[in-house]
Amino acid sequence: MTAVHQFVPALLPRDATGRHTLELRDTLRRHGWESDIYVEAAHDELQDEATYFECYPERARPGDILLYQLSTASPVADFLLTRPETLVLDYHNITPASFYEGWEDHTGEKVALARRQAAALAPTATLGIADSSFNAAELRRLGCPATTVVPILVDVGDGPAPVDTAESTRLAGRHGPGTVLLFVGRLSPNKAQHRLVEALWLYRRWFDPDARLHLVGPSVTPSYVAAVLALAEELGLSDAVRHVEGLTDAELAAWYDDADVFVCLSEHEGFCIPLLEAMRAGLPIVAGGSGAVPETLDGAGIVLDPARPATVAVAVDRVRRDGRLAARMADAGQRRLEAFTPARTRRRFIEALAEVVEGQGGVR
Amino acid sequence: MVPLEPDRARDASGGSGTEPTGSDATGPTQRIEYLDEVMAEIDAEVRRRRASGDLPPGLERELDELFLEFSPVGLQGRARLRETLALVDGSAYVDVAVPTESNKMVGSYVKRLIRKAMGWYIGFIVHQIVKFAWAVSRMFHVVVDHVEVLEAAVDAQRTPELPDSAVPPVETGSAWWSGDAVAALTGVRGRVLHAECGDGSLLDALIDAGVDAYGVDPAEAVIEPAIERGRDVRAETLLGHLEVVADEALSGMVLSGSVQWLHPNQRERLVALVGSRLAVGGVLVIHSASPESWLAGASPVVSDLAPGRPLHPETWGHLLAGAGFGTATVTRGGDDRRLDRVAPSNPDAPAINAAIDAVNTLLLGSGAYLLVAVRER
Repeated sequence: MTAVHQFVPALLPRDATGRHTLELRDTLRRHGWESDIYVEAAHDELQDEATYFECYPERARPGDILLYQLSTASPVADFLLTRPETLVLDYHNITPASFYEGWEDHTGEKVALARRQAAALAPTATLGIADSSFNAAELRRLGCPATTVVPILVDVGDGPAPVDTAESTRLAGRHGPGTVLLFVGRLSPNKAQHRLVEALWLYRRWFDPDARLHLVGPSVTPSYVAAVLALAEELGLSDAVRHVEGLTDAELAAWYDDADVFVCLSEHEGFCIPLLEAMRAGLPIVAGGSGAVPETLDGAGIVLDPARPATVAVAVDRVRRDGRLAARMADAGQRRLEAFTPARTRRRFIEALAEVVEGQGGVR
Repeated sequence: MVPLEPDRARDASGGSGTEPTGSDATGPTQRIEYLDEVMAEIDAEVRRRRASGDLPPGLERELDELFLEFSPVGLQGRARLRETLALVDGSAYVDVAVPTESNKMVGSYVKRLIRKAMGWYIGFIVHQIVKFAWAVSRMFHVVVDHVEVLEAAVDAQRTPELPDSAVPPVETGSAWWSGDAVAALTGVRGRVLHAECGDGSLLDALIDAGVDAYGVDPAEAVIEPAIERGRDVRAETLLGHLEVVADEALSGMVLSGSVQWLHPNQRERLVALVGSRLAVGGVLVIHSASPESWLAGASPVVSDLAPGRPLHPETWGHLLAGAGFGTATVTRGGDDRRLDRVAPSNPDAPAINAAIDAVNTLLLGSGAYLLVAVRER
């Protein structure tokens, strides 16, 4: 029986890679293949879903295919380098270490290690699966002999997401009629939330003095979060910039529902799932052209390159003033989402892995 | 081995498993059409605000600098030493008075109790941490003192600056290469910098061609006509300006004037700055005298006091390739300084013409060149 086992550094709930791994495991099983998940660590809620990676050798069978969810540094990568089985990489991108220099040097060292591990693994992999062409190109530069692009297996759903009405009411009560700009993503230097604050300052000065910026996402780099909020305070935007984290799906949907424009000025993105969530919420999107953002949007939003604060402010105003444009962007977003339906992505994963199964000799 | 095609992700039209993420049979053309129109309007509005003074030159840079004030020590090497040292000093103090505010009355009481009970313990630990922090801070003070002494010593060895009065005025718009420069930049979206722009005549031509161009030139008197014509021209040096421009903020650059005689260290810095300030896909245009014409073409004061010498275009191409630029195209022009050959009727023509050919090849030729390169990565 064909077996495709996944290895992932950490299996976490409410995490894109965690959801992707679980969904892919179920997909592979439904296809009739054996599939288990091996991890370095798993969240308490998911302890029953995974096995410690060092237990794999005693369960290994000839012909196994090992699929590594590559996104961070882990001893799992070093372990896989020692294994003879056919290896497939599923690459979700590693943020370049340079983004953390000065902000959080230990994180910089960790991602640098992750890149070194990726560079060691890539040439030994039979196939690299990437969720964007941008990531696929990185994999090829790392020495991966063959790559294919399959989106991340995350179901953003059809139609509007269920909204936490209590959260919606709270949000509506907190601010007036001003434009609400929203960005969702961890607060980290590569996400460049400080540029959003700069753009908000100009937007309020030129177009809408009541405009607000909502930042939703975990504070993974505390020194950066402090700097972003200090900048907001210095610009007199303390009351206009709000940061929250730890939202449930329904609460997050309420924040999307409350926003007028989704603005993403990240300087490095390997895919950017929040763009899909914004499309689902019917929000017009204004984004910088870095990394995989233009590819994920594929015309379903305004891409500014370079995205300087003045240009962003003008672009947001352009969207706000023109209801027809906003509606067309929302329509384009809905059409774009069709490329990411789970059924379609599942099929493409199976097709990609089936080629590996057909061609493999069982060992590297 | 698995029979998979290498790099097949590049093949967007491929079969099973090769479908790119961006496949939509109905939308792209229609979307691109209206988005292009919107993008042009956004671009025009930004330009209008820049021209009206709503967006003063340097405002976005000031915003970036403001953010840097809140950035960690030494970030991107832009923070000044003494200021960052003050940040270190400020962070070296650890407050033992833990906040005890609480939303609940009993919570505040409990916190105060814990603080009081733990005070001796926390105080002991904090004392050692502060001692360590101040020792580190002291070490940085010593290092900074040494650095400043070194900087002063280096400054004393600096070569004298080339006097502005010795540099001939630039009228770039009427120069032989202006047409080629405009052609190379026509259609570029985003800001285009011309350094050194002189009287701004090339800026006029670029703006007439629909390019969002502005200029810098250190000679204040020279740029006055351009300012009077309403051009966005700043009295700054090229390197000084590029130091404060954000990464990938420019879509094009024209470098003329003193770029050809920069000190090698400055030239190295220039190449690095051009490679970072120009966006990927951005166009770089360099005008320079040819090395062969340098001594004869430049004024004696310039050729004697200039800190550097013009490079061959091949050398620029080599330096730029290292900074992420693709193959450079070169157009030669300016004064053709080659000697004419003597008529064949002259009995000594073969010998004389051979000597003339050698002189032309080795010493003479076109007086200048224009190099165009595109940043590829």
